[in-house]
Amino acid sequence: MSKELIKDPLNIIISGVGGQGNILATELLASALVEKGYFATVGETYGASQRGGSVMSHVRISAATEYGVLIPLQQADIIVSFEPTDTLRVARDYANKSTLIITDSRPNYPLGVLIGEAQYPPVEAIEAELKKLSGQVQIIEATNLALKAGNSQATNILLMGALTALPSVPIDIDDYERILEQRFSGQVLEMNRKVLKIGYEQVK
Amino acid sequence: MSGGMELKNEVLASSTCALCGACLDWCPYIANIEDHLVLRFDCNIQNGRCYSVCPRTFTDWEAISEKYLSAIPRDLAIGPYLKAYKVKAAKGINGQQDGGTVSYLVKTILEDKLAETVLLTGADDYITPQPFLSSEVDDIQKTAGSRFLASPGMRKIIEAQSNNVQKLAIVGRPCQIQALRKLDYNRPPQKPEMEVLSIGLFCMWSLGWAFRDYIQKEFPGEEILRLAIPRHGFEVTTDKGVHELPIDTVKKFSKAGCNYCLDMTSELADISVGAFEPQEGWNTVIIRTLKGQQLFHQAVARGYLVSEKYPEDELNRLKSASLGKKTRNLNHIQTAFDKGVKPFIDLNSAYYVQLKELAEGMVK
Amino acid sequence: MEWMITANEPGKTYLMQGNEAISRGALEAGIRFAAAYPGSPSSEILTMLGHVADEMEIYAEWSTNETCALEACLGASFAGIRSLCVMKQNGLLVVGDALHSASLSGVKGGLVLVVADDPSAHSSTNEFDSRHQSRSAAVPMLEPANMQEAKEMVRWGFELSEQLQQLVMVRTVTRINHGRSSVTLGEIPQHKQVPAVIGEWDRLVAINWFKDAQIAKIEQARTIFEESPFNWYNGPGNPDMMIITCGTGWLYGVEAVKALGVKDSVGILKIGTTWPLPEEFIVKHLVRTKKVLVVEEVDPFLEQNIANIIAYHPELNIELTGRHGQKIIPRNGELNPDMVRNALANMTGTTFQGPEVASIPFEEAVPLPPRELTFCAGCPHRASFFLLKQSLRIHEGRGVVMGDIGCYTMGGQRAGHFLFNFLSCMGAGISAAEGLGQLTRFGFDQPVVALAGDSTFFHTCLPALVNAKYHDSNMLFVILDNSATAMTGFQPHPGIGLTAMGKTAEPISIQKVVEAIGCPVTVADPFDIAGTTEIVYILLKQPGLKVLILKQECATLAVRKRKKAKVWVEQDLCRGDECGCGRFCSRVWGCPGNIWDYEAGKAKIDEVVCVGCGVCVSLCPAGAIKIEGGEAYE
Repeated sequence: MSKELIKDPLNIIISGVGGQGNILATELLASALVEKGYFATVGETYGASQRGGSVMSHVRISAATEYGVLIPLQQADIIVSFEPTDTLRVARDYANKSTLIITDSRPNYPLGVLIGEAQYPPVEAIEAELKKLSGQVQIIEATNLALKAGNSQATNILLMGALTALPSVPIDIDDYERILEQRFSGQVLEMNRKVLKIGYEQVK
Repeated sequence: MSGGMELKNEVLASSTCALCGACLDWCPYIANIEDHLVLRFDCNIQNGRCYSVCPRTFTDWEAISEKYLSAIPRDLAIGPYLKAYKVKAAKGINGQQDGGTVSYLVKTILEDKLAETVLLTGADDYITPQPFLSSEVDDIQKTAGSRFLASPGMRKIIEAQSNNVQKLAIVGRPCQIQALRKLDYNRPPQKPEMEVLSIGLFCMWSLGWAFRDYIQKEFPGEEILRLAIPRHGFEVTTDKGVHELPIDTVKKFSKAGCNYCLDMTSELADISVGAFEPQEGWNTVIIRTLKGQQLFHQAVARGYLVSEKYPEDELNRLKSASLGKKTRNLNHIQTAFDKGVKPFIDLNSAYYVQLKELAEGMVK
Repeated sequence: MEWMITANEPGKTYLMQGNEAISRGALEAGIRFAAAYPGSPSSEILTMLGHVADEMEIYAEWSTNETCALEACLGASFAGIRSLCVMKQNGLLVVGDALHSASLSGVKGGLVLVVADDPSAHSSTNEFDSRHQSRSAAVPMLEPANMQEAKEMVRWGFELSEQLQQLVMVRTVTRINHGRSSVTLGEIPQHKQVPAVIGEWDRLVAINWFKDAQIAKIEQARTIFEESPFNWYNGPGNPDMMIITCGTGWLYGVEAVKALGVKDSVGILKIGTTWPLPEEFIVKHLVRTKKVLVVEEVDPFLEQNIANIIAYHPELNIELTGRHGQKIIPRNGELNPDMVRNALANMTGTTFQGPEVASIPFEEAVPLPPRELTFCAGCPHRASFFLLKQSLRIHEGRGVVMGDIGCYTMGGQRAGHFLFNFLSCMGAGISAAEGLGQLTRFGFDQPVVALAGDSTFFHTCLPALVNAKYHDSNMLFVILDNSATAMTGFQPHPGIGLTAMGKTAEPISIQKVVEAIGCPVTVADPFDIAGTTEIVYILLKQPGLKVLILKQECATLAVRKRKKAKVWVEQDLCRGDECGCGRFCSRVWGCPGNIWDYEAGKAKIDEVVCVGCGVCVSLCPAGAIKIEGGEAYE
């Protein structure tokens, strides 16, 4: 039974630090949506931000019409993020009381923290504020799970697996798997399939 | 608060640095390029080793002298000492300076195991100083002859410590012997003591490394074989011949930091060695401690050194030469403090007041 | 995805990136020639065309700079070949003379120039509106509002170009270039163009004789644009107010009208042919309203051209608002849906009912550390800036450093110990340094250092180097050669030995070029920090022009080629916060691989981030950082 798009447009933000692969994961997600006949628009900021800066992808899904690439403030329905401080930064601008947040808990230290000039806040404090800003927060140890599965760079696909488990997202895990099969093969495909399932299970 | 930033602002910025080298090689902040010492990046340490060993940060030299040369008869002009001798090597050593005494003292140290390692300064090109640690008698040949360019030799203490050297000997300039004593004086109680036997050299001033560039421009393409101040001029011996430079020309290259030094004869060493002015090929040896005395007697016993009684009039001349340096430099120091340089000695303490009076007396 | 741009599936819809759509549009137009210089957000276009060049039987080139690219396209166009030229906003300024001259001479085979602007300067040093150049150079310009239009406009642009015998500009912005949306594919022609014979009397000449023809062409374009399907109106017949928009403003406008529920009183006039403006078409709509809000990216270009139209039609009675007045749309920065909706709410007197939002008082909010740009782990620039800062400390901070554009531009910030004093456009570093280096005769005695990357060297530094050598300027020119045009995505340049189409080429040795100009060159490895610091010190002591090449491969490339060494910190050797260290690796060296463990009070290596270059091993004062295995860096 295929999932339907309930909220139109559905606004999803996928955020992380440059180099974590969120751009690829987002593109696969949006492709899966277009294959199912939806309008999907993706807005990205990269370039200089690859060198340690934050990277944010906006995905707007509609059954009716095409939308501009940027999500208006406080109108993200789902926020998926690879890095806790980035999750909070994004949530402060884009979350509302109905937003659903999925985030990894593994810190990626910015330069200021590495050199001891800034403090990295405790993840519990971040979680507490996220809960105040949104409707629901789920923490997934995505990087650690991916590391255990054998590849720390597959965190992005793992988080996508979690996304497909949400009832509001109108694709299923097999829709995403189909896109993976189109793009990858051999060991890479197997690893991606494996972590996609792991992510899916975290939410289900 | 006295760490790297204070060293930079008080010593390096005011050009009082003597280039003894004691602050180098422990941390990554302080570095030298040739004879320029610089703080490469800002240090965040509140109490630093660099500041505590530097001879140009505030020191009570009297207290240090009391501790390491206690009960030795004092002399305001040439420091505490037991005896002075006129000395030379029984058998010459190639490239030796004056009497070649230092080389044979070092030989004695190694052969009699008075120390396991010696801090020496060689120069492959006869001019650029290269400090190193050695336990080999054969290395002594490399280090014969005076180094006129200032060498930050004390940096090698770090290497000695990390090699767990228990007994070290060093040949150094007065500022380096000062740093050596200060290092031990300020040693944190839990750090083990390293036994050091020190041979201090006489020094009026050391040259900056720009002097090397100058010689290379003056005598282009010539290979330097030897530098010396035999009598009045500065002698540069190259493969093309002997050149003489007026002393005043050479003195222009002396390091600014040397203007703040009040020690001509290495007053804190176990034994001090310098030229014997009246006669070529002889050294002046001043024995200050029992350890120094033991070393000297063993060198003589081995037949390495011959000694004669030190002439009274020469001793007086030596003392007045030393007082002359102290007088000149006391003026430089006062001027610097008046201009705002952070005082590294208390000019109002009894010792310096006495020194000033004695100096004025001698002038009269 | 590259297979999308060549897919023989007309009618199929895919999620495509704007740049992919543009590449596809060019292929659907049957181009056989493409030339560009890398520049975000446009770089992917030529990269993709280069990868599919063999398959599609086209020629694609990473030119040494934008002028070479545009003029190469002009040459191909002379033989009747359809050519695509691509650059970013700054590149368009670089080709100023070439652009105006090409417009004067006209073209033969269709020539479309795609220019990508970067509002809010996400990946640039500045924000610039390229559309002014179309007006200045009398070149027709199209502005896509989404990815489908990007494809269509590029494809149709070639037809227009040949009809007018004039080049055509297509202006995009980052949100189009890097955004993704549904694009329906068209057909790629089977027939491949063949170069025409250029007859003895055929001409492509840029002289004033042709100015009248140039003006006539722009008038002809205007007539064509009056009927263009890229311009349309949506909304009530006599709206209280009208949004006039182009580019990304269109979708934001549509969303704003919907969000405020004002579709019965607000109409949207969408313009795709931004220069020359279809005057009659616009006047036809302007007569029906009294208030206009112009929504566009970067400068009030459309707004002020509409203001001109209004001035020439005194019968119109319009209250015109847009970026120019700065009252409801800021003058600076890219558009976003909130900005447009707020402006519309302001003008219609409505308010937006958004979802329920929590508000956290400032004192309760978790303080977040900012995320600054830095060099990647293992980047040779980190080492170069570190050793340059170190060597200049000898001169007590009197060194003057002129920076340039590339990954190393970040060296002006904390990652490079705030080394730069000066930053301008590409190639400016060495030129400005040459000027300073001439002031020695007036008593200026501060050491002058200029930096440039290897790609920048070929792009603009050559004439400047000749200038500096010929006039014997007192300066040190440091070329940071990491064998990559890294910042824009590793496109090859003439020093690399590879072309856009994946063929090998004879690399041009930077060292030999510099020596041929007559400069003494020193080559050093920035990873040998102690040795290279000494070299810089010695060079700075010498008078005249000195050139130093700091050669070490970009980490992102190197790490793909070799097995990674294992690096770790021996905890009991680490001095950490104490005198003798003061957290030197993480606090001063600052590589993201060196992290500080607050709880243990010791340094650690982040194995996920570390690439195993081993430089920090040589910097640790206690010798606590160890390295094992892996392949050595030359």
